[in-house]
Amino acid sequence: MNLDKLMQFIPYLIPVLIIELVLIVIALIDLVKREHTRGPKWLWAIIIILVNFIGPIVYFVVGRKDE
Amino acid sequence: MSTVHVENMTKHYGAVHALDGLDLDVAAGTVYGFLGPNGAGKTTTLRILTGLARPTSGKAQVAGVDVLHAGNALPRKIGHLPEEPAFYTWMTPLEFLDYLGRLYGLSTSARKSRSKELLALVRMEDVSKRRIGGFSRGMRQRLGVAAALIHHPEVLFLDEPASALDPAGRKEVLDLIENLRGQATVVMSTHILADVERVCDMVGIIAKGKMLVQSPREALLERYAVPAFEVEADDRPALANWGESLKRLPWVTSVTSQNGTLRILVKDVKTAKAALLVGAVGAGLVLNRYEEIRPSLEDVFLQLVGSESVS
Amino acid sequence: MNFITVFRKEMLEQGRTYRFLIVAAVFVAFGLSSPALAKFTPELLKAIPGVPGGIQAFFPTPTVADAMGQYIKNMSQFGVLLALLMTMGVVVQEKERGTAAFFLTRPVSRTTFLLAKFASMTVAFVVSLAVAALGCWYYTYILFEPIAWGPFLALNGLMLVVFLVYMALSLLGSTIARSNGIAVGLAFLSLIVIGGIGALPTIGDYFPGRLFSWGASLVLKGTDTAWPALWISLGIILAALLAACLVFRRQEV
Repeated sequence: MNLDKLMQFIPYLIPVLIIELVLIVIALIDLVKREHTRGPKWLWAIIIILVNFIGPIVYFVVGRKDE
Repeated sequence: MSTVHVENMTKHYGAVHALDGLDLDVAAGTVYGFLGPNGAGKTTTLRILTGLARPTSGKAQVAGVDVLHAGNALPRKIGHLPEEPAFYTWMTPLEFLDYLGRLYGLSTSARKSRSKELLALVRMEDVSKRRIGGFSRGMRQRLGVAAALIHHPEVLFLDEPASALDPAGRKEVLDLIENLRGQATVVMSTHILADVERVCDMVGIIAKGKMLVQSPREALLERYAVPAFEVEADDRPALANWGESLKRLPWVTSVTSQNGTLRILVKDVKTAKAALLVGAVGAGLVLNRYEEIRPSLEDVFLQLVGSESVS
Repeated sequence: MNFITVFRKEMLEQGRTYRFLIVAAVFVAFGLSSPALAKFTPELLKAIPGVPGGIQAFFPTPTVADAMGQYIKNMSQFGVLLALLMTMGVVVQEKERGTAAFFLTRPVSRTTFLLAKFASMTVAFVVSLAVAALGCWYYTYILFEPIAWGPFLALNGLMLVVFLVYMALSLLGSTIARSNGIAVGLAFLSLIVIGGIGALPTIGDYFPGRLFSWGASLVLKGTDTAWPALWISLGIILAALLAACLVFRRQEV
């Protein structure tokens, strides 16, 4: 019964997951296109993909370096 | 009447006197070279004349507008190219010029045609839709010139427009400035003498916040010219002997000898011209080279500013 | 007079540099997940194997109050953080890069330059908050019960006022600062002062943070009001913007 409830929960999270996915994709595209970042690129890639939700945002706020 | 008129202007940053009673006058239509060593006060002057900084005291007028109480009148009359023009890196040159055009209230069609015209002038049509973020120093400088010209300014202030560029880029920018002659009054600051010699018809030399001399370029060269001749020959002993004999002549100031070349400073160019070649032949010399030395701005500059301040 | 032109450029910049996207994504994500988490967190905890059955008693059945509580808590934290983060660099970075100098020799007044930035940030926050609120309302409706539109709108309006307080202070800091580091410091100083003092009893009644609890009371049909805090908040916004304009007018860039 508890598992059923859990499965009920999933659909409500889908929009949130989509938002997160969009953020990740846009952050990664920006990362690939950008020539200079603060800190190594591979590290940012890991942060963007692995750190839930906050990763892409931290990248956008501090990771980007203006050319 | 002068287009740019500065009177007894001072600018103090704490104890540092960046400008110390500067006078400056630029006649309409001239390309004015504002020359001085680094730290002489060139950028400070341009920043005041463009309204970015305020002087501690003094008067400044640009195109009939009092810079100190300009309000909105000044920006439409002047164009400014800072030493390191900065752009919004996320824009393209086309978007950037369009944005500037909007700020000056140009119509949509006027913005389009003016942007196209300027991008052609600075030869950037092929990168007009690329992000400025990836541009080189030279490209940014050229785009900066285009940006400064968008509204057909009466007076154009260029701060070291060519100094940081490679020879090819420098030539391009200087050619651009050359082409502006007659369209606008140009005030160009630089510490590179060759650039002034190439494009400017008026020169003002500034050091330690003061104007040392201000004059048409040719007049300046004549006034500060050291009349000199150089004679070169293979037979060094004979050359040296002749040099010694020259020293006794009344119209000769001094004679120096180096590596088979005599440098003769004279008091009277006319007499020297008449006598030198004849004398050399009379002394039995076979000359490799005989030359009247044209003074360069560098000589003038060194005399005025002193050699220690030239990098 | 060039306000619209500069404002358009600011909006475009927010789009191109993804600032708008970040604000919208954070707001909408919390707008949606707050009621959902309020509803399902107890269930999730129960589903964890090994948690003793008796613990269920500690989790009363979640109500609409929990949903609103989550929403206000998340939005207040992340909204204030975003207001600071997104605004603290906007002026100082233009000064550092030299774009400010390039534009102030153009027919753009310094007041226009600042206010266009504030206006465009405000639009980004209003739009993001509106979408987030809509999502939150809908999730609360299907997971709990419908909440009255009027009070819910008022709650979001009050939250927006708090965000604008921090945005205006952050903009002032960015205008005063000569370097990015100082701007960051000033932004967080405003958080410490306004947030810290606001957390104290009695005096906190007059600080912007008080608007969150007022909003919470509104949606939960309470009778609490905090008009002084609202007037003071609006006063801070106006004073900070005015101060920023005055400082910037005298500044050499």
